[in-house]
Amino acid sequence: MSDTLPQLPSGWTAPEAFASFGSFTAPNKRAVEPVGPAFLAHARRTLHGRTWSEDEK
Amino acid sequence: MSTVIGIAFGNTTSSIAVEKDGKVEVIANQDGDRAIPSTLSYVNTDEYHGAQAKAQLVRHANNTITNFRDFIGKPFENIDVSNCHASAHPFNNDGEVAFKITANSEEILSVEEVVKRHLIKLIDSASDYIGKPIDGAVIAVPTDFTEAERKALVSIAEKANLKVLQVINEPTAALLAHASAGNHLPQDKITVVADFGGSRSDGAVIASRGGMFTVLATSHDYTLGGSNLDEVLIDFFAKEFQKKFNTDAKSEPRSLAKLRAECEQTKKTLSNSTSSTIAIESMAGGYDFHSTINRLRFEVASRSVFEKFTSFVEALVKKTGFDFLDIDEILLVGGTSQTPKIANALVNLFPESTKVVAPVTDTKAINPNELIARGCALQASLISSFEQEQIDESIEPVVTVAPHLTKSIGVQITNGTDKSDILTILEHDTALPIRKSKIVVAPQAGDALVAIFEGEPEIVVTRIEAPKKDESAPADDEESDWSEEEEDDEEIREKIVKAGKKLAEIGLEGVAPGAKIEVILNITKDLKLQVSAREIGGNGVAVRGVVA
Ligand SMILES: Nc1ncnc2c1ncn2[C@@H]1O[C@H](COP(=O)(O)OP(=O)(O)OP(=O)(O)O)[C@@H](O)[C@H]1O
Ligand SMILES: [Mg+2]
Repeated sequence: MSDTLPQLPSGWTAPEAFASFGSFTAPNKRAVEPVGPAFLAHARRTLHGRTWSEDEK
Repeated sequence: MSTVIGIAFGNTTSSIAVEKDGKVEVIANQDGDRAIPSTLSYVNTDEYHGAQAKAQLVRHANNTITNFRDFIGKPFENIDVSNCHASAHPFNNDGEVAFKITANSEEILSVEEVVKRHLIKLIDSASDYIGKPIDGAVIAVPTDFTEAERKALVSIAEKANLKVLQVINEPTAALLAHASAGNHLPQDKITVVADFGGSRSDGAVIASRGGMFTVLATSHDYTLGGSNLDEVLIDFFAKEFQKKFNTDAKSEPRSLAKLRAECEQTKKTLSNSTSSTIAIESMAGGYDFHSTINRLRFEVASRSVFEKFTSFVEALVKKTGFDFLDIDEILLVGGTSQTPKIANALVNLFPESTKVVAPVTDTKAINPNELIARGCALQASLISSFEQEQIDESIEPVVTVAPHLTKSIGVQITNGTDKSDILTILEHDTALPIRKSKIVVAPQAGDALVAIFEGEPEIVVTRIEAPKKDESAPADDEESDWSEEEEDDEEIREKIVKAGKKLAEIGLEGVAPGAKIEVILNITKDLKLQVSAREIGGNGVAVRGVVA
């Protein structure tokens, strides 16, 4: 079975087809473990202020 | 290229490992041991290490030093000496922990000196095997090691001429080794790492999110370990010996030491075989002792100890507030985790969806005794090309402390693989910033709604009524006991994700029926959620927006 999107209700409108309802629940501060390849990439991004898309290039 | 290794340093045993060309090898020392007893012994002018030192516990207990790892960086008043009752006793040397050795002459060895000598032996074995001097190591410690204790370990290592590149947590090292070996490092999952060692048990609940690990909870039991199982066997055989020869094998330290060594061996044998013999020449009172025990008998005698291992894991999960269904995996670590009963009991306790990783439940599982050293070796090779300054900088809180999602975020779907309303894209406890996408399918009838919600987990219980049994049928005791269980209605518990708070909606008009749609969630450094959706391969443009 595939994960299927619901049908767009008739009459649905939003400016530029996007509607915002409110932001996600406030996050918690926790420490990630400084271990593994993904962490090293994270450290690089954090220390050099790069964004995800820049890092992927 | 520098030569770096991983070191697992337990109170009971230590292991060393090295990564080469993507493969990790656990190094055997000169005696051929991969689990090297963390033991030093002094006899006359000789120093023994590892298994050879441990063997001296029978004849030279007072000059044999064991169980010292947990003393690192602690003042005497804070240590628990109870694990050293059958070996050299630690004493209070001006507030510091030290041992008095009377081999050749009387010598006082601080715990630092003991740790240093132990590390030197481990490094020797590693460089012997690799054929090069060791330039650095990653060492693992339990999660309850304080910052000061970690620093103390690093400075002792320095005195042993070993550069510690990084000190990492044992459960994380174990999980890194396990996930790397299975090639599922990037998978999102919740793992309970249960480390059952010789003298203590340590647990951690770890969220893996795209290869990043976050420890959500930990627990420790300093009175539970493999030695509790040894004690059961000691009592078991001492009773038998008493009956046979009317002699107490436990009253004389040397007899007890012999019995303890053989019982540990018997216990290990019972992990692989269903029965084991035990033979001790001149065990006590000049009598030889020969006996056998089968696994079942051992399991019955150790029932209360086994229950403690199981409740340890149960209590840890309860502490997190997770349901058992939230636990994707239980990774068993430590020498004691090779005991089949421990893994089997967890399989019985947890739902089928929780994978118990241990040799008895998974033939591909890495030896639980080697996981920590392997993880350390992997980490060592990952960071070996960095300057120490870079490594130190990357483990500072400005890098490691990050906001984590408290709730999952996903897209609404109509006919998923379970009864969920939401296909999760970002799991709860994911470190931010993050960017992730998933592919869903457009409805058959026209335009698609991409609705982004927070997910609310829900446990759905389905009762399946058992067929009524014939009440009048007579049954003997045993049978009625059995059928009582059968009679119970069966409960099927399932975890699903319901729609919680709505965050955003995108209208995708003009998509082909059944088209593949990529939904991308991107939470930026300043915690803005960007949503975008696009038809894959279609000519429609992506629709995107920022949730405010
Ligand atoms: N095959 C086996 N089956 C059962 N138990 C085993 C087996 N191999 C080793 N053990 C037990 O594992 C324990 C040592 O485990 P491990 O090496 O993980 O301990 P450690 O982490 O050094 O110890 P500690 O918990 O004291 O710090 C010992 O009690 C040993 O008897
Ligand atoms: Mg351990």
